[in-house]
Amino acid sequence: MTAHAGPTGLANLEGHTEFDIIWPWLRPGGLRSGSTAVLRVKDEAPSLPFVLPPLLRAMDHVLVVDNGSTDGTPDVAADTAAAAGLADKLTLATYPFTVARAGAEHRAVHELSVHSLAYFYNWCFAQVGTRYSFKWDGDMVLTAEGEASLADLAWQIGDVQSIIRVPRHGLYLDGTSHGYLDLGLRNAEEWGFPIGPDFVFTKAFEWEVRTTPKPVRSIGLPHGLCVELKYLDGDEFAHWTDPDSFATSHRNKRKRREWAVFNALNAGEVPEGVVEIHAPDGVHIVDHVTRTWLPQAPRPLEVGTVVSSDDQTRA
Amino acid sequence: MSDAPAAADVESADTPRKVLFVAGAGRSGTSTLAGLMKILGMYVPQPEVVADASNPKGFGEPQWVVDHHDRLLKEALVQVSDSRPEAWFDTGRVSTREPERIATAQWLESQFGGAAGNGGYPELVIKDPRLAWFLGLWRVAAIRTGAEPVFATMLRPPAEVVGSKQTYYANKLGSAHLAASWLNMLLHTERGTRPTDPAALAAGNGGRVFVRYADLLDDWTRATMHVGETLGLQSVLHANSEQIRDGHRFVDPSLRRMQQTLADLGLPPKLHDLVGQTWEELNRLAEPGGDTPAVHATLDELRQAYTDLYSEAEAISRSSVVHAEQRTRRQMASGAGAPRPPEPARAPVPTAGAAATGVERIPHGVRAAIPAPVRRGLRKLAGKERA
Repeated sequence: MTAHAGPTGLANLEGHTEFDIIWPWLRPGGLRSGSTAVLRVKDEAPSLPFVLPPLLRAMDHVLVVDNGSTDGTPDVAADTAAAAGLADKLTLATYPFTVARAGAEHRAVHELSVHSLAYFYNWCFAQVGTRYSFKWDGDMVLTAEGEASLADLAWQIGDVQSIIRVPRHGLYLDGTSHGYLDLGLRNAEEWGFPIGPDFVFTKAFEWEVRTTPKPVRSIGLPHGLCVELKYLDGDEFAHWTDPDSFATSHRNKRKRREWAVFNALNAGEVPEGVVEIHAPDGVHIVDHVTRTWLPQAPRPLEVGTVVSSDDQTRA
Repeated sequence: MSDAPAAADVESADTPRKVLFVAGAGRSGTSTLAGLMKILGMYVPQPEVVADASNPKGFGEPQWVVDHHDRLLKEALVQVSDSRPEAWFDTGRVSTREPERIATAQWLESQFGGAAGNGGYPELVIKDPRLAWFLGLWRVAAIRTGAEPVFATMLRPPAEVVGSKQTYYANKLGSAHLAASWLNMLLHTERGTRPTDPAALAAGNGGRVFVRYADLLDDWTRATMHVGETLGLQSVLHANSEQIRDGHRFVDPSLRRMQQTLADLGLPPKLHDLVGQTWEELNRLAEPGGDTPAVHATLDELRQAYTDLYSEAEAISRSSVVHAEQRTRRQMASGAGAPRPPEPARAPVPTAGAAATGVERIPHGVRAAIPAPVRRGLRKLAGKERA
């Protein structure tokens, strides 16, 4: 557990008592079984109609925490869940404080500040009511196989104290029917964690990190289950202080790969390991990749031919 | 019943790929349903497990599937009748492995080809009592092969399932364990096949159906047409007259030979209540329009109650586990096939006229292992130098 963690929760340095954190496992009645996906989002309105439906189907609950969106993200989240008939599985929350961007800005902030990524994550996961949780991003879309896999694990995990690693692949969107899938990068991060005192957030160098007991069980899912949407006409690196923040460390080679692919594609070049995909007429590129192309691609997928950036493989 | 697949009126070109997975506890009529589906034109991958006295009409189980599941269960350290709620994560974890997904999908793909020269079979039926442990693996295989997975779960009163298992599996397991494993399997099979799309569920097209064994034996035409209509099985919907006659030749109402009640099992009270309530709720799922969120919520509560009960029992019986571990360790150390009785305590070595000294209490083998110069030094220290 983080060195600053109190027995019942965390109080922030700024004295915003309404945003103090009470550990959810101490809540009267305790935690119920099942899994919750937690999304911390800012201006993800274009992505959520693709992200939320499969995630809502797979999870027992989805918590979307908005952090200063200006594009109507909370409304889009609510409308998407309602259209899928799954509004009862969605909880919307708002975190009103500016959160430090990854890199140098993050490093300068104390982890008990409401502006710290670690504090923000601890607050978000303190709203969870189930015994297991998945950290999720507002641009991560499950494939058909990914949806089936997480739907099973969401209940199978029960009270097992295990971490789940989920590989993902960057899908760079050039309009609604054309995109590029980066299979040259191999990237599997730890996304699934039990809710409990052994698994809280603390500060790492560029971003937050979740604590774990040692040793801890961990399983990794196969490749081809999740894509991360990246818009070639958007600002995909706004949550970083600046490119210098991910310029040198081994920890940041994924971000450097994304930077290289993003800029190469915008310059009209297709880098090694990137696959160009066209959707059939009338089918959105995201739906085509996640419902048909990836699920039916020959296995094993050839992934990581250029860069490998997995979280450590644990026993 | 012939091993050859029945002539299908359904052409593969017209029919989308579909795989019917027949789940449920062993001895619940899964073989009867799978056999009927085969007669009506669905394809049971060959070769099948050979019929025996416990199932004289055949099992309807592809041998490859049985072998595959046996190996995976061993890998996961899970038993077919495992009553541990945590066992579902163990088999789920094995099911996430890419080599297993590839093997399962490749085998499934090869089966859609069916018998050579007849255009293949778009509708398959897969049945095995171990299947429930690997539904997720098969769902993935179906997705990878462009097929729709659909599920039929057989329901038979738990007292009859337990009674039948005790009879046909030589009563190796106590009734409480068998009832607990029934509970574990059915509660989690329901969860594992539960529709995730509320629109499809509301439209009665959630991709699953529950069938009471008694209903199947009482009027198989009604029960199987319900399965065919609910799951959109073209083979059933378009079965011909001869296939229907074969169905009547196949179903034998006397198959239901066990008719004991739950009270006959003498279960611990908490387990008795949970089994009774679960059976009641599962029955609701078999009613038309009964597969509803309200029933799912109740079953979630029952699943949690069973998990809690198991955790309590596990905590109380920790000494039994430790004892079993110790016995196994001893067995492994001795290299014997059966546990050996403990070595009797060694009697003290008699000494002439006096109690044994400290040196004499050390066994001779240990003393001999001490280098001679060291032994001499120790004797000197003890004032026992040899002349």
